[in-house]
Amino acid sequence: MTSYLVLLGILVCFSAILALALNFQWGLGGMVNFGLTGFYALGAYASALFMLKAGANSFFAVVGAMAVVAAVCAVVAFVTLRVTEEDYFAIVTLGVGEMLRLVALNEDWLTKGALGLTGVPRPFGDLIAPQYYQYFLLALALVLLLATLWFLNAVARSPFGRLMRAVREDDVVAATLGKNVLWVRVRIFAIGGGIIGLAGSMHGFYYQYIDPTQFSNIVLAYGFMAVIAGGRGAHGGAIFGAAAVMALLEGSRFLKDLVPALDSDQLAAIRIIIIGVGLILLLIYRPQGFMREYRLKVST
Amino acid sequence: MLQTTFNGIITGVIMTLPALAVTLLFGVLKFPNFAVGAMMTVAAYMAFALNAQLGWPLLPATAAAAVAMGVLCIGIDSVTFKPLRERGGITLMVASLGLGFILENIARFAYGNSARSFAIELARPFRFADIRMNHEQMITLGVSTAAMILMWLLLTRSPMGRAMRAVADNPSLALVRGIESPRVIRWTWFIAGMLLAVGGVLIGMDRALEPPMGSNYLISVFAAAILGGLGSPLGAFVGALVIGVVSELSTLAVPPNYRIGVPLCAIAVILVFRPQGLFGQPYIRR
Amino acid sequence: MSGILRATGLHAGYGAGDILKGVDAELATGRIVTIIGPNGSGKSTLIKTLAGLLPARQGEIELEGERLNDLSAPKRVRAGIAYVPQEYNVFRNLTVLENLKIAREFMGAGRSRERVLDDEVAGLFPELAAHHKTQAGNLSGGQRQMLAFACALTVRPKVLMLDEPSAGLSPKYMSDVFDKVQRVNAIGVSILLVEQNAREALRISHTCIVLAGGRVRAVAPAGEVLGMKDLNSLYLGDATLH
Repeated sequence: MTSYLVLLGILVCFSAILALALNFQWGLGGMVNFGLTGFYALGAYASALFMLKAGANSFFAVVGAMAVVAAVCAVVAFVTLRVTEEDYFAIVTLGVGEMLRLVALNEDWLTKGALGLTGVPRPFGDLIAPQYYQYFLLALALVLLLATLWFLNAVARSPFGRLMRAVREDDVVAATLGKNVLWVRVRIFAIGGGIIGLAGSMHGFYYQYIDPTQFSNIVLAYGFMAVIAGGRGAHGGAIFGAAAVMALLEGSRFLKDLVPALDSDQLAAIRIIIIGVGLILLLIYRPQGFMREYRLKVST
Repeated sequence: MLQTTFNGIITGVIMTLPALAVTLLFGVLKFPNFAVGAMMTVAAYMAFALNAQLGWPLLPATAAAAVAMGVLCIGIDSVTFKPLRERGGITLMVASLGLGFILENIARFAYGNSARSFAIELARPFRFADIRMNHEQMITLGVSTAAMILMWLLLTRSPMGRAMRAVADNPSLALVRGIESPRVIRWTWFIAGMLLAVGGVLIGMDRALEPPMGSNYLISVFAAAILGGLGSPLGAFVGALVIGVVSELSTLAVPPNYRIGVPLCAIAVILVFRPQGLFGQPYIRR
Repeated sequence: MSGILRATGLHAGYGAGDILKGVDAELATGRIVTIIGPNGSGKSTLIKTLAGLLPARQGEIELEGERLNDLSAPKRVRAGIAYVPQEYNVFRNLTVLENLKIAREFMGAGRSRERVLDDEVAGLFPELAAHHKTQAGNLSGGQRQMLAFACALTVRPKVLMLDEPSAGLSPKYMSDVFDKVQRVNAIGVSILLVEQNAREALRISHTCIVLAGGRVRAVAPAGEVLGMKDLNSLYLGDATLH
């Protein structure tokens, strides 16, 4: 049982990191990232490939993965945001996410296609005995989560953070003040991307193998649900949201025991349906999430 | 090359109906609806249920599925989108994404992941001037053309069609010209639902029936609508054909699995050079 | 004399504050009333609230004694209030004929046919006949204004509300507009006008309402207001009118 809880804790940690990234891009930056799944996969593959093919150690692999995802996000944001229509941005990110998934599936020479990459090394994997590794991973995950939280808060409090909020509140005004709105948004998206890359790397460390089927639309659904449940813009909320979503999902695992007649495909389908319904219900009834808004709300 | 162009035309023709649905929905509801792919899927499976399981011929099965989907869409709108109407584009987009997940997985739950086909007679393909065509493709051309003509008549000759175009053009003016938006919205969903249903069946005939069948076309359909200009029905038609042909032709140069890259690049290019597409109007969000 | 359209204690606004802060206004039956006031005084807001595009936060709106507050804008149109916005007042992607058809099909739905003004409208706007197939967006500014006006009249309204109908028009079109306003009034339509070109509008009006800071500062016969040298004192509320 402890083992199960530890594993759950680890999963909550990287879902939270993912939710924080999405929250940063969407809640604070106003950019909807429907390509989340693809960027997450990119982070996972990049980190694994840096270790497997380039022989990097886990630290550099993670940094490398973060840089890769951040760079791709920056390019996507730059190309798309020349025309700042939020609708189009969502469509484009959806497409990019799809493309990344296709690349993972088809570029066998790099990603081994549908077979996936196995034997992904873990940080300090050799030093720690396997039965204790999960505790280490949990600790590591927590540390990274806290680091991310601290980092994002620091950004929010910095001059750049003020700039972000100014752009979000009224980009026309910000532009007339000479601020390069496009560049601000590109940076926001890239920073979020880097954090997604971090979460992706963790994914590899946890499972130790990566294949395209792990990156389905469930990731996207979790991410958005976590952000909405937690309340957009509130960092602490993203963590709460991730925990809530995980609880819902893990809880639904027990459905299998209640309704033995369903096969695994059907159960997977039901779980996504539950997430989808939850998402919509939250949007309708509780768009502000469950955490109280902690920032000072400026009434317009 | 000629064969590829022909296949591209067929693909484009298949996409005209969903592209039109997307553009109508965007024009009236003012946000891109990411559930349209899954709606096509669900409708296709409904037709499948009538056709392969109950033994109906495909035409009546499609017609019934179309009406059912139209009604279902009205219901979905009142439960999902109506409560969110005031909230703004992004919320609606995210809700539509969630809705897409729900619908696609309902199909998956009911029919599993393996591919299915409609129960239609197998017929030999025939050749016409070096191009191989099969019966399904002929049916696709016929049905789509008929549907487009009907839609054109509806939009230009009927009061409701004019009302839909008016709401897309200027929603607040439409109000003071006596057009009640709930009614227009219901009709738009009903028509969009029917278009998506027929589109779904055509996809099912062209490829196969499986849960992601509709979502696979999502990007291409949006590219078509955006190329033509979101909100412009003529644009949707032209855009679909262009995207279809270009996508197919691109397989000569690009690996077929990456076909989706073409519509994606198209969207990026359009956004940079002419965001309103060929026939659209720059929409001022008021 | 009771007014055909009456607003009592009207409060309305777009965001946190109210723009209209308790407006009492009345349009006498068969009259032309012009609302004047400085920019930001709430003239457009008042008309939009009467039309139903903006909810009244407080106060009552009555048409011939019937309370309009709970009616949606389309329903108010059918009750007999026609509104021509200042800008974006035609469907640009539709032809002139389609614009007119929409007006006929939807503004009068459910009302008796005799209200439809077809011939009279065509007579008032001969310049539109030649352009039936032209897209409204391709018309000149003056022609668009005429089309907007014609659409509002297609099904004879009881009340016609015009928001700055002469804005941006050449002098020729401007006098044409005011001429048409008088002719429309002559066939029995009560008219509420919001205008920046105060003097031109007042010349054809019966009554003038002065709106400033979201409140009515004065109501007087138009002729009296026209005679005043300095309209600004009216806006500030310290004029000798009641």
